[in-house]
Amino acid sequence: MIKWNFLKELGDISEHDQAALDGLRKRVLGTGVVLVFFVTIIFLRLWFLQIHKGEEYKSRAENNRVRIREVAPPRGDILDRNGKELVTNQPSFNVVLVREDSNDIDGLLKRLSVVLKEDVSVLWERIREAESKQRHIPVRLKENLSWDTLAYLETHNKAFPGIRIEVFPSRFYHYGDMAAHLIGYLGEISKSELEETNTDFYRGGDLVGKMGLEKLREKELRGEKGNNSSEVNALGFEQQLLTHVEPVPGNEVRLTLDIDLQQVAEESMDVDEKSGAVVAMEVKTGRLLVLASTPRLHLADFEGGISSKNWSALLDNPKHPLINKALQAMYPPGSTYKMVTALAGLAKGVITKDTTFFCPGHIDFGNRQYNCWKHGGHGTVNLKRAISESCDVYFYQVGMRVGVDALAEYANKLGLGRKTQVELENEKSGLIPTKEWKKKKYGVKWQDGETLSLAIGQGFNLVTPLQLCQMTAILANGGKRYVPQLIESVTDADGNVLESFTPKLAGELQENEKKYLALIREGMVEVIQGARGTARAARVEGINMGGKTGSAQVVRLEQYKHLKEEDIPYKYRDHALFTCFAPAEDPEIAVTVVVEHGLHGGSSAAPVAKAVMQKYFANRLAVDQIRKAVTP
Amino acid sequence: MFCVDRRFFMNFDWVLLSLLLMVCGMAFLNLYSATYPPLGGMPPYLKQCYLLLMGAAGIIFVISFDYKELQLWNYPIYIVVIVLLALVIFVGNSAGGAQRWINLGFFQLQPSEPAKLMMVITLASYYSRKDVANGYPIQDLITPIILMAVPFILILIQPDLGTALMFVVIFVSMTVFAKLRWSSYIILGLSGIALAVVGWFFVLKPYQKQRVETLLHPVKDSMGEGYQILQSKIAVGSGGLFGRGYMEGTQGHLHFLPERHTDFAFSVWSEEWGFTGSFFFLAVYFFMLFWGLHVAMSARDRFGLFLAFGVVALIFWQAVINLLMILGFLPVVGIPLPLFSYGGSSLLTTLLGMGILMNVRMRRFQTESTLKSCDL
Repeated sequence: MIKWNFLKELGDISEHDQAALDGLRKRVLGTGVVLVFFVTIIFLRLWFLQIHKGEEYKSRAENNRVRIREVAPPRGDILDRNGKELVTNQPSFNVVLVREDSNDIDGLLKRLSVVLKEDVSVLWERIREAESKQRHIPVRLKENLSWDTLAYLETHNKAFPGIRIEVFPSRFYHYGDMAAHLIGYLGEISKSELEETNTDFYRGGDLVGKMGLEKLREKELRGEKGNNSSEVNALGFEQQLLTHVEPVPGNEVRLTLDIDLQQVAEESMDVDEKSGAVVAMEVKTGRLLVLASTPRLHLADFEGGISSKNWSALLDNPKHPLINKALQAMYPPGSTYKMVTALAGLAKGVITKDTTFFCPGHIDFGNRQYNCWKHGGHGTVNLKRAISESCDVYFYQVGMRVGVDALAEYANKLGLGRKTQVELENEKSGLIPTKEWKKKKYGVKWQDGETLSLAIGQGFNLVTPLQLCQMTAILANGGKRYVPQLIESVTDADGNVLESFTPKLAGELQENEKKYLALIREGMVEVIQGARGTARAARVEGINMGGKTGSAQVVRLEQYKHLKEEDIPYKYRDHALFTCFAPAEDPEIAVTVVVEHGLHGGSSAAPVAKAVMQKYFANRLAVDQIRKAVTP
Repeated sequence: MFCVDRRFFMNFDWVLLSLLLMVCGMAFLNLYSATYPPLGGMPPYLKQCYLLLMGAAGIIFVISFDYKELQLWNYPIYIVVIVLLALVIFVGNSAGGAQRWINLGFFQLQPSEPAKLMMVITLASYYSRKDVANGYPIQDLITPIILMAVPFILILIQPDLGTALMFVVIFVSMTVFAKLRWSSYIILGLSGIALAVVGWFFVLKPYQKQRVETLLHPVKDSMGEGYQILQSKIAVGSGGLFGRGYMEGTQGHLHFLPERHTDFAFSVWSEEWGFTGSFFFLAVYFFMLFWGLHVAMSARDRFGLFLAFGVVALIFWQAVINLLMILGFLPVVGIPLPLFSYGGSSLLTTLLGMGILMNVRMRRFQTESTLKSCDL
């Protein structure tokens, strides 16, 4: 034991001290055990963290180091068929707060609430919503700052530590609320939408299309997010940009819509605040030129989430502005259905071009009397006159003879009672009753008297304005049922055309049925051009048109029977329908107008269609006038 | 006064010096990385150079006289340190809500650091003077408890709970080492528990309680109190076997690690040098402490033995607490890793402590007679 050697030199230490010192030395050795114990723990722990869990922590360190920030892509523009911009992007300036950069959030918000003219509690609510997020992640306090507010905040930024201005692309609607129902709007992605999408494209707070084409074409319009990944420190400050991926702008969607035509249609509907729908379609392709529903939606109300006040106002509005009436609302077709009855009668051989019926103003069937709208009666009428003057008795006779199922068969062939497959949400299929349908639905046998009502478009029949327009197009184009379409083309940011319009034929009449269409068209032309036609109001100088009016009974109430039409309460007035095509010689366009509670197709719906037609043919009419002026 | 003879060199503890130089070298290397790039002003590594030079001077001064002198100077030293501790409360510079420093112009003195060494000297002095065969009865402990309680309370009200508790740790280590009667253990233990309970409910500030609580669930709040421990664990863990390379540690360089050149300096080392480097460093470090124990065992008298033991205990417990904190076993308490964490007061104090160890080792053969012969 070399260690103890030196003890011999210590001569003057007493025996007792010597023993005590020895004891202490042993105790020092004992404390070595404590030292070894802790050293072992530390080494084991080090081994556990660095060797056993090393890889795990290495990846955590990587994640720590790199922060990926998404860069929102500009959403695709929406254009009309002529390339006019309907919806584009504009920068929106938002106020955001980075909580960790502010040490007095309470005081900051108080000062900010004055500048933003927003209640402090509203701002606090925004912050509370983001409570679970990390403190370096900005919280949006208010969107769409005005220039004044923006300028104030920028010049006084020293007074608002932690406040930043964020530039965010937002939608700009060049034509205001025109075609609002079909364009739709954007809103913050909901929790359920987030869960539904399997892609990891979306994050909470992203804006997605909530309605109309913005929703249906979301994938094309949204583009690809870009990202910046940068090295950051623990304070959240970005040290250095590692990679930058440019966002890919969304695709440009060009609609088949003609915004000028749409505007004329909507503005005509605005006269007298008409509620209803206007649809215009190219008869030979199925391109939709107008798809309007009134009252219009106010898109700005939806931005950043609609307030509950605005929402309940929309719900309570008796004119149902939330519904796209062109395809989500169903109306009894009224007299516009007489073309179906006529075609069924001709095709089934019940009538011919020259078959006549006598109209005394009513017809007795069973134990009931079925009236013609003209109480004095039309006298002897053939098909052409029956259509142009809308003689109910003629079509009672035809309907009686062909029966309900034949009517349904031809209604279907003309596109009624089934969805048109237009690319919009919640399209209604309408209703075309059959015997079987009634049995199934009500458990009651079909009454023949019901067929009479059906033949003139009353009863169970229900159609959408879009279906009526399609029907008119089929009659006009000689029997081809095209799917109404809205998209002319989809083009990506590099100009590659990803999708372009091709007509989609959904069905076609048989040859022996097609031959009767000219006859029906003749009657329809007479409706407008004829001296006694019901829709002379729709006449456009220089263009031959064909069409049909209709009025759909809302209720049959005895108490209103004796009243003048203007005295009937609004909600019990008949719907006014009008559908037409032009030019009669070689039809190009079909226009359908439904005015809710508009009473008569001829007086309230036809002028709207006329305005659309006038606009559509404006150039040609102008050329004609010049030609007339030039040639002597 | 200075006694320089050839035995000075013969008996000088070259082993301890080499170990110390290795530790200081690694600490310097690590400091350079942890504070890179320097933020302006005098770079910390340069400051560290001056501190090391001052420390070297301090060591030379400490080994120049017999450690026995410390016993004589014990109470004057004690009073000076207590005055400094009291002063810090009134004129001290505050940082992070606590007043811990006295500005000496060229140097920010943190009196609680030398106070730790003062505590070791005081207790060594007390226990070496009074030898009790069967262990100390409780009445003999009243004096050292009071001696310990004064700096303890002064530091507690700064407030610096971690450092204050170090005084308790030193006191317990040295007292238990000095041997107590069973009755004393029981009384001390019970009153300790009672004090801890009272302290938890009446003395501890909410943030201090929170520190203890977050230790239990660090991941729950990864940007808050548990954040530091979590980041430290990530730093250490990501080092793997061979580390990420010197100056390559992302946790440290990207400022994810808090206090990365002071309390969390070893996290930076672990991240950059991996298990191998950490093992090497700790091996050297703890061998130095074992050597310290060896020095204690070879001391020529009770005072030398207590003194050496106390210095080792002081460094050891600080190191263990700091390392366990870095490795995620203890809450963030603000105890540095002696010699390795950047901090002038701590470094100088520890170097003086090393000087004391060298002193004890050097004079292990010295008797009254040899001392006299030296004076001739």
